Amino acid sequence: MSLIAQDAPGKTVLLMGNEAIARGALEAGVKVCAAYPGNPSSEIIGSLSSAADALDLHVEWSVNEKVAMEVVAAASFAGLRSLCSMKQNGLNVAADFLLNLNLTGTQGGLVVVVADDPGGISSTNEEDSRIFAKIGNLPLLEPATFQEAKDMTRWAFSLSEDLGLPVMVRSVTRVSHARGNVRLDVLPRPAAKARFDISRPRLAFPPFPGHKALLQKMDRARPMVETSAYNFYRGPEKPELLLVTSGSGWMYSLEAVINLGVQDRVGLLKLGTTWPLPANLVMKHLKQAEKVLFVEEVDPFLESNVKELFAQHCMDLGLKRFYGKASGTMPSAGEISPEIVSSALQSLLKVAYQPRPEDYTSRAHEAAAELVPARALGFCAGCPHRATYWAVKSALALDGREGFVLGDIGCYGLGMGPSGFFQMKTIHAMGSGAGLAAGFGQLERFGLSQPVLAVCGDSTFYHAAMPALVNARYNGANFVLLLLDNSATAMTGFQPHPGTGRTATGKEAPVLDLKVICESLGAKVQVTDPFDLAATTDAMLKFLQDREGVKVLILKRECALVRSKKQKKLFQVEVNQERCLGEACGCNRLCTRVFKCPGLYWDRATGKAGIDEAICTGCGVCAEICPASAIRKEVA
Amino acid sequence: MNNGLKGLESKVLDQGQCAACGACLSLCPYLRSFKGRAVKLHDCDLSEGRCFSFCPRTEVDLDALHRAVFGKGYEDIETGPVRRVVMARALTPEFTKRAQNGGVVSALMAVALEEGRIQAAILTERDSELLPQGRIAKTKEDVLTCAGSSYVTGYTLEALNRGPWQGQERIGVVGLPCQLLALARMKASPLEKRTSVDRVDLLVGLFCTWALDYRPFAEFLKKRFGDKPIRKLDITPPPERLLNVTVGNEFHQIPLEDIRAFIRPSCQVCLDMTSELSDLSVGTVEGEEGWNTVIVRTARGEDVLRCAESKGALETRVYPEDKWAHLKQASILKKQRGLNALKDVQEKYVTLPQKAIDAILKEVAP
Repeated sequence: MSLIAQDAPGKTVLLMGNEAIARGALEAGVKVCAAYPGNPSSEIIGSLSSAADALDLHVEWSVNEKVAMEVVAAASFAGLRSLCSMKQNGLNVAADFLLNLNLTGTQGGLVVVVADDPGGISSTNEEDSRIFAKIGNLPLLEPATFQEAKDMTRWAFSLSEDLGLPVMVRSVTRVSHARGNVRLDVLPRPAAKARFDISRPRLAFPPFPGHKALLQKMDRARPMVETSAYNFYRGPEKPELLLVTSGSGWMYSLEAVINLGVQDRVGLLKLGTTWPLPANLVMKHLKQAEKVLFVEEVDPFLESNVKELFAQHCMDLGLKRFYGKASGTMPSAGEISPEIVSSALQSLLKVAYQPRPEDYTSRAHEAAAELVPARALGFCAGCPHRATYWAVKSALALDGREGFVLGDIGCYGLGMGPSGFFQMKTIHAMGSGAGLAAGFGQLERFGLSQPVLAVCGDSTFYHAAMPALVNARYNGANFVLLLLDNSATAMTGFQPHPGTGRTATGKEAPVLDLKVICESLGAKVQVTDPFDLAATTDAMLKFLQDREGVKVLILKRECALVRSKKQKKLFQVEVNQERCLGEACGCNRLCTRVFKCPGLYWDRATGKAGIDEAICTGCGVCAEICPASAIRKEVA
Repeated sequence: MNNGLKGLESKVLDQGQCAACGACLSLCPYLRSFKGRAVKLHDCDLSEGRCFSFCPRTEVDLDALHRAVFGKGYEDIETGPVRRVVMARALTPEFTKRAQNGGVVSALMAVALEEGRIQAAILTERDSELLPQGRIAKTKEDVLTCAGSSYVTGYTLEALNRGPWQGQERIGVVGLPCQLLALARMKASPLEKRTSVDRVDLLVGLFCTWALDYRPFAEFLKKRFGDKPIRKLDITPPPERLLNVTVGNEFHQIPLEDIRAFIRPSCQVCLDMTSELSDLSVGTVEGEEGWNTVIVRTARGEDVLRCAESKGALETRVYPEDKWAHLKQASILKKQRGLNALKDVQEKYVTLPQKAIDAILKEVAP
């Protein structure tokens, strides 16, 4: 039984924020859910897929966020409630459609959940997605607690239907990925009948009438958000300082105010609906305080909008001092924390407060060093990407023309660091390595003599690299695409994709063969096993020497973590201590100093290498690189 | 000071001074050759390494090396130690047909193998794209596949390091002056060798004025002749100064000036035209097509030459005085050019007694 599909109204359960959002959608009677995996949003669809059969939902992993948005919009047009989730980068992909959908409007409730990643813990940027609500004139909700994550998501569906607009719910990592108590409500089982009303075509062109209608919808939204229970004030009637916050900022602010014991001096205005602003509520409290502090993660979104509101009504509101990101009181980049809020309050209220003893950080590091083994940010033991980058490094060095690798985000993005031997030289958006290669690959006429390589994962290929490849072929670019086919969307949690033969709900699906696709696009294609280092290096070298057109080398080898769930080690690997050259000339610890798979260790006492049985996944690649044939692999 | 791979990189590879001898290859996984270049694949932080120790372009004390090989210092400044010099040519067409000149090297190695003086020979063969590489020859047929020259250096000595070896073979090596210098350094190295160099028993040196860098030269030929196979390359003696190229069934001539830019920079600082650290050195004889010059330097060399002669593999003739004087002159000129070039290079790799330097520079060109 799926955790989020319990039919137990009134029961309190411990849910991850993303599960709470999924539960909220179920309580709203959602029928169609779609997304492309991306942390910190991935578990929303992940948990909904587990409830799909029991509650008769359609849940899918779409090929990218724009398609996901289109899939759920179709459901909405047909009268069904639908949800689409993504990370902040994903909204950029979906934005083109979303900023047309706002003009044509929706039928069945359509909720767009965007999980932002302040600090970029698992992202290439820490973009604040809230600005899209303002650009697109879309209602924006920001849950601050796990209960709110569920309840606001449920409410977002009816708000969407009341307005005929998509509604955005913005979460952040610390809401999506933390867990808290959530009280469940009734789980409806609505009968669904999908039908597209052909008398109401959804035409974004011409845009002018749609834009006017959209602005009218926003006018209707304003009174709705004024009365929302997710906006509230806590504190004295005339506070010395008004703290305006939303989302994750609420809990941080509450903790700081309590810790400092300044409940009598600080008023907390917590907003759940941040676009459009509940203007009357905000102005009512602005009037009561001279000093105003904004606490929010990433951009000064609330801060700017409140200042804008203030500017319009300043004659009625009186002089104010605003503190926040613009004043430098709060950091403009990275995550915030209770300590950061405390420090801001301390300086504004002149309260003596030591959030932590001075040596806290150093003592914490010392304690951690004792308890936690040192681990580099790198590929897992037996990861095919390590072998791939080893071959890349060798091939580029041998080729000797300063070739370079263009990459993007995925596990293989670690190719920029030590475990990928620093081979990857660019990281941007999904599929951007291939796109950049399509550009670099046409610069030979301007004197570029360096060979161009791009890497992309299998899931990324379907998501965004295919158009780049079409473009490259059409415009005559010359480069090598390394397609790292590990049969999984590994970085986000092994979600299936069009190449895996399974859907989000575990049903069988046709396999969209990478080799066939690339060949049909006119690329020269070869498939190798990255664990065969010599053959892989040779294949790369051969493609590097070929100065015409698009070459695709498919490096086919299942993700070590996926494989280890299904089967035992490929090989039993051992180091013959007699043969191991150790630090002697001829080896100098190639396996532990240069190759550095975590499954290998260096024994200082004996001056020899060894295999860590607990970590080794038995890929056998180290046996191939050992110059003394001291590492032996035997079929397990 | 031996700095291991770091030193080799900064003093040799990065300076364009690699002579492409192959002494540093197949010793470790850090260096590999690809299309005529020695390439560092990974960083090695050892403070002492065989690559540096064996290299003919790191710090070489020629006086000490000559003492180790011949029992006397760098004294015979013209062409190195000489017991005698003769003209020679192979007697059977199988050697002469594919040979660059008189087929003497092929005949000598074939006889040495057949007579059991050696069980394997390290030679240089070229692939279909002219890329030279070291090869272990064990039969006359193997020797014949390596006949001829492309004027491009290859990593010949890599074959010695790579093997495979049974562990008992006596080994002969045919090499350019830089390759024999490397071999002498390998033998003299104080480091634990873990190679088969101590079983090298016969050294046949080739005369060399300069050698070409594979990549630009191959690119040049490709541009000029497309994908047609190059069957033979041959340089005409002065005053013509032409490279004869047989491409498929066509014959072309290219002025040497057109390929001069492809000469390896490391050849500019070379002081050795006649492969002085050999048992026998073999080259052309100016004005005598189909004959080779053979310099006999050691008793072992004498022995092998006589053996080949007695087996009817080759014939010899007295070397004309005027040609010998001319050869010595050419050798001295190369040394003078090398010493002058050494003044301009950043890394002074070669050590010679001042007496020898003075003597070389004093010799007057004709």
